[in-house]
Amino acid sequence: MEQAKYIGKRLVELFLTLLVVSFLTFAAFSIIPGDTASVMLGPNATAEQLSALRSQLGLDLPMSVRYLEWLKGAFTGDLGNSYAYSQPVISLITDRLPVTIGMSILSLLMVLLISYPMAILSGRRPGSLSDNTLSVFGHVLFALPPFVLSMLIITLASAAFGIYSVGRYVKPSSDFFGYLGCLLLPSFCIALPKIAMTFKFLRASIIEEKASDYVRTSKSHGLSDVSIMFRHILPNSTVSTITVISLVLSDILGGSLIVEQVFNLPGLGRLLLAAISRRDFPLLSGMVFYLALITVLLYFAADIVSALIDPRMRNNREGTL
Amino acid sequence: MRTSLQKKTRIYMAVGFSLLAVILVAFVISLTHLYVYDPNSTNAAAKLLPPSSDHLFGTDNLGRDVFARCMEASKYTLLVSFCGVFIAFVLGTLLGMPAGYFGGITDKFIMLISNSVMCFPGILLALVAVAVFGPSLFNVVWALGLVFAPTFARVYRTGVIGLSSKEYILHAKVLKVNPMRIMLLHIFPNLVPQLLPAVVIGLANMTLFESGMSYLGLGVQPPHASYGKMLADAQSYMTMAPWLIVFPALLLVIYVLGLYFLSEAARLSFGGERR
Amino acid sequence: MKNISAKLISGLLVLGLSVGLISCAKKGGENVDPSLYGGDAVVGITQEPSVFDPHTVVAAGDKEILFNVFEGLYKFDSEGKLNPCLATDVEISDDASVYTFTIREGVKFHNGNDMTIDDVIYSLNRAKELVPDLAGISEVKALDDGRVEVTLSSPNSELLSYFTVAIIPDEVEDINATPIGTGPFKFESYDIGQSVVLTKNEDYWQEDLPYLDSVTFKICADMDAGFIELQSGSIDIFPYLTMDKANELDTNEFTIQSKGSNMVQIFALNNAVAPFDDIRVREAINYAINRDDIITLTMDGAGLPLTTAMSPVMGDAYDTSLDGTFDQDIETAKNLLAEAGYPDGFDMTITVPSNYIIHVNTAIALADQLSQVGINATIEQVDWATWLDDTYTNTNYESTVIALTSNYAPYDVIARYQTGADGNFINYSNPEFDEIIAQIPLTTDEGEKMELYHDLLAILTEDAASCYLQDPYSTVAVSNRLEGYELYPMYVQDMSTVHLAQQ
Repeated sequence: MEQAKYIGKRLVELFLTLLVVSFLTFAAFSIIPGDTASVMLGPNATAEQLSALRSQLGLDLPMSVRYLEWLKGAFTGDLGNSYAYSQPVISLITDRLPVTIGMSILSLLMVLLISYPMAILSGRRPGSLSDNTLSVFGHVLFALPPFVLSMLIITLASAAFGIYSVGRYVKPSSDFFGYLGCLLLPSFCIALPKIAMTFKFLRASIIEEKASDYVRTSKSHGLSDVSIMFRHILPNSTVSTITVISLVLSDILGGSLIVEQVFNLPGLGRLLLAAISRRDFPLLSGMVFYLALITVLLYFAADIVSALIDPRMRNNREGTL
Repeated sequence: MRTSLQKKTRIYMAVGFSLLAVILVAFVISLTHLYVYDPNSTNAAAKLLPPSSDHLFGTDNLGRDVFARCMEASKYTLLVSFCGVFIAFVLGTLLGMPAGYFGGITDKFIMLISNSVMCFPGILLALVAVAVFGPSLFNVVWALGLVFAPTFARVYRTGVIGLSSKEYILHAKVLKVNPMRIMLLHIFPNLVPQLLPAVVIGLANMTLFESGMSYLGLGVQPPHASYGKMLADAQSYMTMAPWLIVFPALLLVIYVLGLYFLSEAARLSFGGERR
Repeated sequence: MKNISAKLISGLLVLGLSVGLISCAKKGGENVDPSLYGGDAVVGITQEPSVFDPHTVVAAGDKEILFNVFEGLYKFDSEGKLNPCLATDVEISDDASVYTFTIREGVKFHNGNDMTIDDVIYSLNRAKELVPDLAGISEVKALDDGRVEVTLSSPNSELLSYFTVAIIPDEVEDINATPIGTGPFKFESYDIGQSVVLTKNEDYWQEDLPYLDSVTFKICADMDAGFIELQSGSIDIFPYLTMDKANELDTNEFTIQSKGSNMVQIFALNNAVAPFDDIRVREAINYAINRDDIITLTMDGAGLPLTTAMSPVMGDAYDTSLDGTFDQDIETAKNLLAEAGYPDGFDMTITVPSNYIIHVNTAIALADQLSQVGINATIEQVDWATWLDDTYTNTNYESTVIALTSNYAPYDVIARYQTGADGNFINYSNPEFDEIIAQIPLTTDEGEKMELYHDLLAILTEDAASCYLQDPYSTVAVSNRLEGYELYPMYVQDMSTVHLAQQ
């Protein structure tokens, strides 16, 4: 009952947040300098052609009407046509999704698979040599911008050994493993700094849990260190790290926008830059909104999951989404 | 236990500052024009020279001295990150303090806005802002300031809520002391332990964002140097002139690393191992 | 040293090219070698195609693909010569006001239909509306069974090169969606952000062409990405390389071709804006800059220095006596500035489109060189759309760097400098120039015409209309897997002569 109430409350917040996010997106692209119609028609357009196009695009309607229209479109997946590609915005975006989403999922897997063992190793005996080494290592990783890392790795891999060819991309429908192979290196570049971040939080959380009463009690009951770690400490630490992981995911999404560019992959990042340089506002606003939408839902999911696992979390995080 | 903690803090601090020193020295030299080469002067006779005693870090494809350009880049890096953090800090204060202090509907409203802003992947927001309003140093700074403001607002809000239950704050509230006064004189000084690490981390993150934006051509504009732009240009000469990548990348990483160590030191000295 | 090696390479290439041509001509004869046929090639391109309608296409990057799909009555070859294509012959009336074309028989469109006179008339009438250069056509009509008469509203002896405009089938409603032409390759598919695929036209009217089964134009994010793909073998032909990149390639695997591209890289000074309305300031800037250095810095030496609005690759129309007019002379530049009232220089802005690295780099080098005479130039990068709109169309700028491309026709190169002409984005105006250029379409004698061109170029140089910098070589790397590639002095990729190398 209490859980249902909590989830209901969070749903209201989710709704409000989405409303603000959508309004911010729409407003940002409405106050932009430069006339869309004249950009589209090019230099030799006449005044009549311009006003005809403006009314065709609905640019002459009041802003509130346009916002509602846009909002309706955003949720029904109909954001109109891209100016530059004259294709539906939604299909342009879904075409690029496999790259960006694939990279994000791969990166997240890497983050989890690498940061957990690191944190366990480190948190087992804080202050030990292995802990200090890993901590320093984590700091260095933290400071490596993904695109610098990508450049270094590309230089090494493709120029020196000829292993990796930049820009190679296979569609998942034609060769799934080839597709994964193409995304492996870029995902790794995105994941590394996030591994450091997750490691840091998880380690702190493990150390905190270890000091708590129940761990000491279990220990006195004769449970082995290993089983305490995996039965009690890790699950509890995971709960408090879920929020961090949802933050990591949104960073991963952002990071992939740049790394795609370095690796020349046909994902949302390249589409975004193309849309920026062509002033393709329907496409731009669509991409911005959907990326934000994904993030909002991620945060929401993280909150719900941690609330379901651990009722204590509810009060702590109220109002912070 | 206590002493080992302090020792660790000292180590972090020492490492952090010594790493930062590299950039700071470059910054000072670039301000005083002590170095022989101008960062923007091209030289057709000195294209892509490897590092030598003449050109410490070699020259780039336009015959410009890479060392001079690194110095200029560190100048812009410091400029952008400090100004950006300042803007984010001020905005964060204006949003976070009242949210935490007054609570209720004020809190709900402010947090709704700042959470909504946080839902946009940061780099996306900054990129779009700069793309739309034109790439210039000024636009980069305020865009980054805006993107980072909610982070500071959160630190403030959490801190203020924690302090609000403290006896002396409650007293002041009961005595109807001006809220501005309470916030500035009583709350703010007590938040420094939480704010300082956030500021240092903010500097580091902002540097990374700025270099990413410059890499995509939406940051510092040519002919001026920035680490991101230097790296982007260097990509074409990856195999021919690796020094074009190595030195700027190294300096960028050293600077960010120095900041991370410092923030760690700040966190340890104020709050200890617990988060 | 690098300069010399670059020159040597291009010298060798010219030789290689002519040998290639001779062997090609031999191949065209009776004994066609079947082992040359088949196979695929991948060409790297760095811009997203946008328009496939041959009459409305403007972007050079689109034109270079469509060159393989569409053909006109006449067609350029790799030497820049105009040859009959879908016409077999043309008669131009003495006053240059009527062009009569004999249409080639037996040409089929990609949809299998025969090309008829109606298609030609339809295409020319459509082109007349859409292509500004052909707006002077007043009437197109069929004479007898195989000839088309084109009447112009005013005489123009320089129009033949525009009859390279595409002939398209009259029954196709939306040529942009279904690009159907007569060229050696058929349009197969366009995958946004990925590639454009062309397949062999089995019914091509030149029976022994093309060789390849398919050609893929693969879209690369930028030159670096394409270069790496070239090295890894996923691209076979990569045009628009820089010379220093090309020098990095393994000569056992790639053949490099390089030649003047009939492009004019211009440091455009807006003649309508102070202080560039003062001829002395424009001259001073011309003297202040060092073209050779700019070519070394931006093209690794692979460019021809220019002092006037035309590239030497245009042949007779170019005036060699203008070479070296503006050799760098800082003193003269400073004196001219002082005369003009700017003894300490002034502040100016160079607006450059950010997507063209060569122009951005040129602007950086220019700003540095201008600082020697006290001019403080700030660089402002804008995106391409903004540049086209603000800078080029609305001429709302002080100075900019861009490369002007034109048809391989001298008239097309300099027509833009007429007062008020389309594309006169430097706002140049000189009545004497206008008067001479007006005579050219009326002049039918070739020698006389060349004299007029020389006069026009001299006027542009004397007026220091802007700073003409260089004709950047176009450099292309071709995998040794392929042979027969011919580099054009214009922005096209002719894939019809390319075939697999024989082992």
